[in-house]
Amino acid sequence: MFQHKKPSTMNSHDRPMCVQGDSGLVLTTDPKPRLRWTVELHERFVDAVTQLGGPDKATPKTIMRVMGVKGLTLYHLKSHLQKFRLGKQPHKEFNDHSIKDGMRASALELQRNTASSSGMISRSMNDSNSHMVDAIRMQMEVQRRLHEQLEVQKHLQLRIEAQGKYMQSILEKACQTLAGENNMASSAGSYKGSIVNHHGVNPHDMGPLKDFTSPLGFLSFQDLNIYGGDQLDLQSNIDRPSLDHGFLPNNGDNLCLGKKRTSPYTGSTTGKSPLIWSDDLRLQDLGTAASCLGPPDHDPFKGDQIQMALPSIERGSEIDSLSDIYETKPVISGDPMGEKKYDAGGAKLERPSPRRVPLAGERMSPMIQGRNSPFG
Amino acid sequence: MTDLLMMGSAMAIAMEMMVDDPLDLDLSDYSTTTTTTNTIDQDDRGCKWNEWSPVVDWTALTGGHDDFHDLIESMMDEDDNDDGGDILSNSYSTQTSTGTAVSGDVDVAAGEVSDDSNKGVRLVHLLMAAAEAVGGENKSRDLARVILVRLKELVSPTKGTNIERLAAHFSEALHSLLECAAAGGPHSKHHHHHFFNGDNNHHHHHQNDVVAAFQFLQDMSPYVKFGHFTANQAILEAAAHDRRIHIVDYDIMEGIQWASLMQALVSRKDGPPSPHLRITALSRGASSSSSSAAARRSIGTVQETSRRLAAFAASIGLPFSFHQCRLDSDESFRPSAVKLVKGEALIVNCMLNLPHFSYRSQESVESFLSGAKTLKPRLITLVEEEAPPPPPTPTDGGQFVARFMDLLYQYSAVYDSLEAGFPMQGRGRALVERVFLGPRIVGSLGRIYRARRDERGSWGEWLAVAGCSAVPVSFANICQAKLLMGLFNDGYRVEELASNRLVLGWKSRRLLSASLWTSSFSDSDHL
Repeated sequence: MFQHKKPSTMNSHDRPMCVQGDSGLVLTTDPKPRLRWTVELHERFVDAVTQLGGPDKATPKTIMRVMGVKGLTLYHLKSHLQKFRLGKQPHKEFNDHSIKDGMRASALELQRNTASSSGMISRSMNDSNSHMVDAIRMQMEVQRRLHEQLEVQKHLQLRIEAQGKYMQSILEKACQTLAGENNMASSAGSYKGSIVNHHGVNPHDMGPLKDFTSPLGFLSFQDLNIYGGDQLDLQSNIDRPSLDHGFLPNNGDNLCLGKKRTSPYTGSTTGKSPLIWSDDLRLQDLGTAASCLGPPDHDPFKGDQIQMALPSIERGSEIDSLSDIYETKPVISGDPMGEKKYDAGGAKLERPSPRRVPLAGERMSPMIQGRNSPFG
Repeated sequence: MTDLLMMGSAMAIAMEMMVDDPLDLDLSDYSTTTTTTNTIDQDDRGCKWNEWSPVVDWTALTGGHDDFHDLIESMMDEDDNDDGGDILSNSYSTQTSTGTAVSGDVDVAAGEVSDDSNKGVRLVHLLMAAAEAVGGENKSRDLARVILVRLKELVSPTKGTNIERLAAHFSEALHSLLECAAAGGPHSKHHHHHFFNGDNNHHHHHQNDVVAAFQFLQDMSPYVKFGHFTANQAILEAAAHDRRIHIVDYDIMEGIQWASLMQALVSRKDGPPSPHLRITALSRGASSSSSSAAARRSIGTVQETSRRLAAFAASIGLPFSFHQCRLDSDESFRPSAVKLVKGEALIVNCMLNLPHFSYRSQESVESFLSGAKTLKPRLITLVEEEAPPPPPTPTDGGQFVARFMDLLYQYSAVYDSLEAGFPMQGRGRALVERVFLGPRIVGSLGRIYRARRDERGSWGEWLAVAGCSAVPVSFANICQAKLLMGLFNDGYRVEELASNRLVLGWKSRRLLSASLWTSSFSDSDHL
């Protein structure tokens, strides 16, 4: 089920929170309790940081002393302070980066809001205490919006995935119908043979559908896979330890993401990864330095393979959990598509710009290998 | 092409056609494909088109018809120095400002001169002239025929630049109009059914073509997802705290809209988790205009959708039930046919004009919306084509040409958006164009021709006049739409044209609008 897979902080009804004493701390009941940074608690935190002369001077220890909240540990404060510092970093590198990559207007807009507000906040914080109330309010607002954006982003990718899965069931039905129409059910071998033959002389009605599985597969699975990857990323950075453990991105993840973002699309004609926004938004929201991102000119295939490892795992487990019905059945559509994919891969040499085709093939392959052909 | 469109879905016939049809040979043969892909891959949309577009030999083409030679040549020779950047909008503005079809000077943007853009401009001018001759001020069937013959020689719906392929579809559509007018006047039932009823377009294609084209459309462009997700987000918000949600869906199609809603419902954390979702889908019964076979097909499709949705809901653990509500013979909607349960959040969902949707008559939509309104739904989600108000032209003929050009402009935006998003997926685009867009062009043009005058504005305006009030689009919803645009190519944009209305556009052209409404007195239903 979805719920059980979801990270605990995002699903309060899943894992009961417990309110601890009069300090009002909200912790999960995990062995390693995570803390929910309530508005009130964060306000106290900001107060303490300001008292201590700003986020750069304050240390977790001093903050803990100034805040004096029972149950709050250095562990919690450390990550929250890191997040706080990152959130206040000037976004210069970001702008450069985003311009370079031609980031989305929407993302830019969001970023500008963020940058200007946090810039204002840090200024007013450093200047005097007179603007503190405003600054805090603004900070809260910015954080709320960022949080909402992240939520929306996460939801959006889940929705796209759900649609993709549903689409699979439609495709699958179409394939079944086709198999019936072709009277291929009697011989799996001939069915497969026909697919291969198809690229030779004898086009039959499978033509359009099959032919389009190549780009289809590329697109839809790209969505799923990359989303899968992002989800991992989101989980590690936002959902799970995230909001509590700070917006400190795992460097390894980021390196990988950096490669991912540049990989399949670097130098490609569109120059647009449909999924760039995801990383951008996250990074920009979290204020991560752009230097985390991978080198712009690396081998695209390498990057893709790195990326591949994560999503395929993610996707596999997701299928298990999401659906019983959809778990087994996609094989039917997946397998012919897979074959098709390899065909497409085989055809890549003929293509003047083979970049995308093999990528699609690589993306597909782990899924296909993991499944049995219903026809074989 | 026409043969293909009219083709039944029988397997044997389809297979034969595949062999005969160059497009499908192209699809299935990699050696042929290579050249095509090669051209597309250049990322210089159109610069290579000369290599594979129809040969343009202007003098030879006009040589045989001395009577019209001068006219056509004059069309072809003007504007030799055009830049092709925005052929259509230039021509269009020319047309609307001068009010004449052929003679306007097109503003020339400084830039390199290419044959490509010249041909585009010429095609547009030829189309304008043809439209003028078919339905404009000075109708001339003979002139129209000659121009259309020329156009057909120049373009193919499967080859060439966007404007060339579009020109092929539009001249095809004009040709149909001409034939029908000749066959017995624009209101003859026969042609209405055959040529203008976009309703039938799915049945001319094999189911697999439709599925593949649909998937392509989904992946290549944000149109479908924008409509679905914006509506779904609004539904989620409107029913955030409800245990039972009932959606009355005007045109459920494959039901793909509800997969994402279901997913969101089981994972929502604010309201009660996994509420019960009930969907009532309208199905088209046997009507006077459509055969009983079509009715059975409609019901069959809805039933299949029902099974698929139920399976999906079960797979994610969402309580779900499905009902079918058959429309009356004239596609009119009886609100009493919808079973309501007290305490459920009632939502009315009305998706119109998504690129893959069949055309629904104005009467049908109006009947549904006015009937649905009496159910006092908490929310009405409406997605419709965003069409500019018809240009104020004093005459029917002038209006036809103006609306013809507007339609051309609109579809060129759609074509451009599809191409810009995925320049490499030429074959996928071809399929989308063949299965969805081509038939829609024919249908839309037929309606323009018959309607003469625009009777109404948007359905959103209609709802407002009918007394529905606006439901604001939330920040999260706007955010979602913008993020969604970010998944696709630059050029798509989302505008907040009103507090309750988001509009998806390609560059300067607004294409699809999603708006949220509520029935005025629905508050009492919450209690």
